[in-house]
Amino acid sequence: MSESYEYLFKFLVIGSAGTGKSSLLNNFIGNKFKEDRCHTIGVEFGSKIVNIGGKSTKLQIWDTAGQERFRSVTRSYYRGAAGALLVYDITSRDSFNALSNWLRDARTLASPNIVILLVGNKKDMEESREVTFTEASQFAQENELMFLETSAKTGENVEEAFLKCSKTILAKIENGELDPERIGSGIQYGTGTSKRLNAPKKPARTPSDCACHM
Amino acid sequence: MLSEETVEKRNAPPGVNSRSLSIAHSAADLEVLREIENVYFLPPSEFDAGRFVLEHAPATSCDDIERMFTKLKRQQQVVSGKALHLISQQRDNCDREFKEIQTIRDQLSTTLETCQKAREQLRAASNHLTISTFVILANFRKRQIIRSVLKSLELLRSLRSVEKDVAELLTKKEYYEAIQLILKSKKAASSHKEYTCIADLATRLQDTLDMTEEKLDSVLSNICYKFDENVFRKLRKAYALLGKTQAAMEQLHMHYSSAVNESSIEAVKNYVGNAVDMKFQDMCQSVQPNKAPICLLNLCENLFLIMKSYFLLVDWHSKYDDEETVPISNNVFEIEKNVSREYIRQKLKAGLVRIWHDVQAKVSTFLRSSGLEEYPFEKFIQMLGILRKLTQVAEVFCGDKSDLLQDFIKTQSVLYIKNYHRGRMEELKLFLENEGWEQCPVKSTFTLLNLQEFKQFKKYLNLRSDTSFVKAQSDSASSVHSQDDSVYISKYFKQSTNHTPFEIFRNENITNDDIFGLEPEAVSDDSDDEPEELKRDFVDESDQPESTKGSPSKTKDSVIVANTTLSVLRHCGQYLQICRYLPQISLEVVMLMNQLFDYYFFSVHFFFTSDMDVASTTLYSSKLNSVLKRIKNYIDTSNSGEMDGKIPCPESPNHLNLTSEETLHGLSERIVAVESVIFLAKQYELLQPYLESIVASHQKMILEHFKDNTLAVIQDLRVPVYMCSASKAVEVGPALIAMSKVKWDVKDVAVEHSAYVDMIIRKIQVFALRLENVSSKVTLNSEVLSVIWGMVSKFIVHLLVEGFSNATKCSNGGRGLMQLDYRQLFLKLEKISGLKPVPFQEYVDKYVKAYYLPRKGLEEFLQERTEYSNKHLMALITCACENKKDRQALAAIIEAKDASI
Ligand SMILES: Nc1nc2c(ncn2[C@@H]2O[C@H](COP(=O)(O)OP(=O)(O)OP(=O)(O)O)[C@@H](O)[C@H]2O)c(=O)[nH]1
Ligand SMILES: [Mg+2]
Repeated sequence: MSESYEYLFKFLVIGSAGTGKSSLLNNFIGNKFKEDRCHTIGVEFGSKIVNIGGKSTKLQIWDTAGQERFRSVTRSYYRGAAGALLVYDITSRDSFNALSNWLRDARTLASPNIVILLVGNKKDMEESREVTFTEASQFAQENELMFLETSAKTGENVEEAFLKCSKTILAKIENGELDPERIGSGIQYGTGTSKRLNAPKKPARTPSDCACHM
Repeated sequence: MLSEETVEKRNAPPGVNSRSLSIAHSAADLEVLREIENVYFLPPSEFDAGRFVLEHAPATSCDDIERMFTKLKRQQQVVSGKALHLISQQRDNCDREFKEIQTIRDQLSTTLETCQKAREQLRAASNHLTISTFVILANFRKRQIIRSVLKSLELLRSLRSVEKDVAELLTKKEYYEAIQLILKSKKAASSHKEYTCIADLATRLQDTLDMTEEKLDSVLSNICYKFDENVFRKLRKAYALLGKTQAAMEQLHMHYSSAVNESSIEAVKNYVGNAVDMKFQDMCQSVQPNKAPICLLNLCENLFLIMKSYFLLVDWHSKYDDEETVPISNNVFEIEKNVSREYIRQKLKAGLVRIWHDVQAKVSTFLRSSGLEEYPFEKFIQMLGILRKLTQVAEVFCGDKSDLLQDFIKTQSVLYIKNYHRGRMEELKLFLENEGWEQCPVKSTFTLLNLQEFKQFKKYLNLRSDTSFVKAQSDSASSVHSQDDSVYISKYFKQSTNHTPFEIFRNENITNDDIFGLEPEAVSDDSDDEPEELKRDFVDESDQPESTKGSPSKTKDSVIVANTTLSVLRHCGQYLQICRYLPQISLEVVMLMNQLFDYYFFSVHFFFTSDMDVASTTLYSSKLNSVLKRIKNYIDTSNSGEMDGKIPCPESPNHLNLTSEETLHGLSERIVAVESVIFLAKQYELLQPYLESIVASHQKMILEHFKDNTLAVIQDLRVPVYMCSASKAVEVGPALIAMSKVKWDVKDVAVEHSAYVDMIIRKIQVFALRLENVSSKVTLNSEVLSVIWGMVSKFIVHLLVEGFSNATKCSNGGRGLMQLDYRQLFLKLEKISGLKPVPFQEYVDKYVKAYYLPRKGLEEFLQERTEYSNKHLMALITCACENKKDRQALAAIIEAKDASI
């Protein structure tokens, strides 16, 4: 393939159902906004190569279903994510209240070093706002999250959200806080770099010399 | 002079007048007179008498003077008397004469007067007649001359203004008149060569003619972009006047060629940064990929306008040219004209194909250099739609089937779909590597039709009625342009319309079905009630959050689907959508779709049999083996990175816990994985009739082969995968040790089964308990359960045979104990597993009972039973044959069997 990149970051988009996770991802990878988007079933996927500080970086983004019943399905995708957008809907207090749960899941299931950016989506619907910018900022501060308000509809701050998160990851790599070589870091060297992370080879397992012959 | 003297003489004093002399004079007097000196008769002016006398007076004596005086006095008296006499004598005459003179005088004055009058009148006459006439004549002549000068001047002036007039006419589009004017002027100029200025003018006229022809040419070239009947008619008349009808047609064709070139460049130019001095091909290459569809659209639209213009041109000729045709004529000129007309007709006919060829070449160039395969699907479809429309246009235009373009579309489509597929495969790999193999909460009625991607296919996949496939068939056949298409397209070739068949592509909301003219109504039928329903339809709403485990949703008949399964199905839907638009490459698409399945299947096998710790030969059916072998051929399992066209193998996920006994070594994941492949296979089978309807009939075999040899075999995957868990139900080592502790050479048949049986049963009970836990996470339908228990059983019978064969010595009683043991075991197993009968029992049963066979039977047994290893068989004959010779003979059979393999 023609694409080449230096890093690959695994990203998650999490948050309650209907907060606009899929809309955000779709906006980011260049699809049109749909008013009547179906709930995500399980996990969907999108990727995009972006330029961060002169380094072309491939973002591998997993868009998870927010509906409770999919938790068990989506959990396995958390593992080893380098970054996450934690999305709530500024017009829904419930979605804001659920943030702590989502955050706990992310920190326990993904890596504890995961870089999380809190996203207050549907910024365009100012008239039905239920969560103020200030209280969300406070929540972000308390939980050491970055914070942005976005609108997947107008596209405001969408790219910024992904880029800001990616930049932070890159900065952490550069100051050594994150080690791309560590398995499960959610970061890989891409095709554009000479250092290529070798696939962790599992010792080939041959059927043991079990006496049972079947 | 003489007369005057005479006249004067008559008035003068008498002297020489002979008549007076003759009249009566005394002789004395005469004498005196004679004595008078002549000198005195001299006129007083010449002669001064006084002085004469004085001079001649004698100076001597007074007497002399007195005498002289007396003489002179006498002389004077005589003369005076004589004179008086003469005067009186002549008086009447004089009076008469005077009278006469007076009349003459009068006469003279009247004559003078008459003369004067005459002269006067003559003068008047001459004034009135002669001069004015001559002036008139002269004037007339002048006028004539001036007139001719004026005419020439006017001509000159008009010649001078020809340029302007022509320009005016040209702007009024009066081409014929313009040409006429120039030609006339030229003729006029040539007939007035006498003027020096004409020479200049003539060259200027030639220039004007040239310029006008250029102008005509440019108007002609504009015809290429927009055919205007009126303009063209005028142009034709003008060219006919120039005698260049045929040449103009040639020229027009050249213009069409260059119009194709220019408008191609025009269409692409705006999408290229710096287009100066760039070749068309290079320009195409530098078009930004995201702009390519709109660029192609522009290109096609521009080219269409030229095609339309040409189409109208041809149409015009066929309509109006016939009218002018002179049937048969002997006139050489007419014949020539007809020949030329025929030539033009041929030229026009060939031109259609030529122009289409040019257009096709341009579009192909654009497509070739635009890296079509990298486009997002929507864009690609849009581009294909544009191309398809272009082929339809071509068919109306010149009846061409656009083989070139069709081929191109096909190869590009194959390239595209391959590239697209590569992307999907990479994505699938990612999904598989990250898959947690959790059961997705979908309704038990879930099928791929519930997915939005299959919305359009619902009508073809109606599982109940087979008739719908007929419809699908006809649908795919409609890629061959229908009559309707051409009627539809020809509308755009009308002069009156400013629309192009391509403008639908400018509409933001255009759907792919619009693009391809695929039954739009049918789609809307469905979509009305669909979306709302689709959202929730297959998601099991009744499912409560995880906390309530063992929820009713995990009923026996619910389907097992993993996230990746849904993702594969969605891809399938997309592939089929692509197929609808690319019926030519249906088979390729279907094959790639099958590859998705292969890969999923292969990965599941790869992930979940990697920890197989029993020999596996009997776990794989031959068909399963060959499927795996087939797939393995195109998957790069070496992980060397050197792929040579192979698909990279997914990395075994290390997040799956396949080692915990608690979870039966990831049994729930294994079940989700295997059952989801089986579900997927079922979905593929559902699609088969539709797939068969979209491929050519001779390709159906390929699909059938896939169905029979892959899809139908998938269930066999349960065996090896579940065996991985089942074979860990009982630890082999300790069990064998426990068995080896049993004394098999006992005399009597035991009453009680051996201890190891209980041990194994305990393990199985634990397994059953853990299986119960698994069932809270994943639906365990009876099929799954029976395979799992079957595998447990299979494992146990092998374990038993292995254990039994370890007994070097065995008595009849020992054989009985063996039977007792495994009967007991199976009794329990039957109870725990619910399987009736427990399968694979005969494996151990036959082995144990072979002991009782006579030698002959034993021989047969050794020869026929391949399922036991040599070690097993050796152990069997060691126990069964007391006779050493027999034993050796039987051992030879086993060895021979070994060698023959
Ligand atoms: N006005 C507005 N509506 C939005 C915005 N983002 C999403 N929506 C709408 O919100 C609804 C839900 O959006 P989704 O993107 O499906 O939400 P989600 O988080 O992916 O939901 P799940 O997949 O169920 O977890 C859709 O109808 C969107 O059109 C936004 O920024 N502004
Ligand atoms: Mg979503």
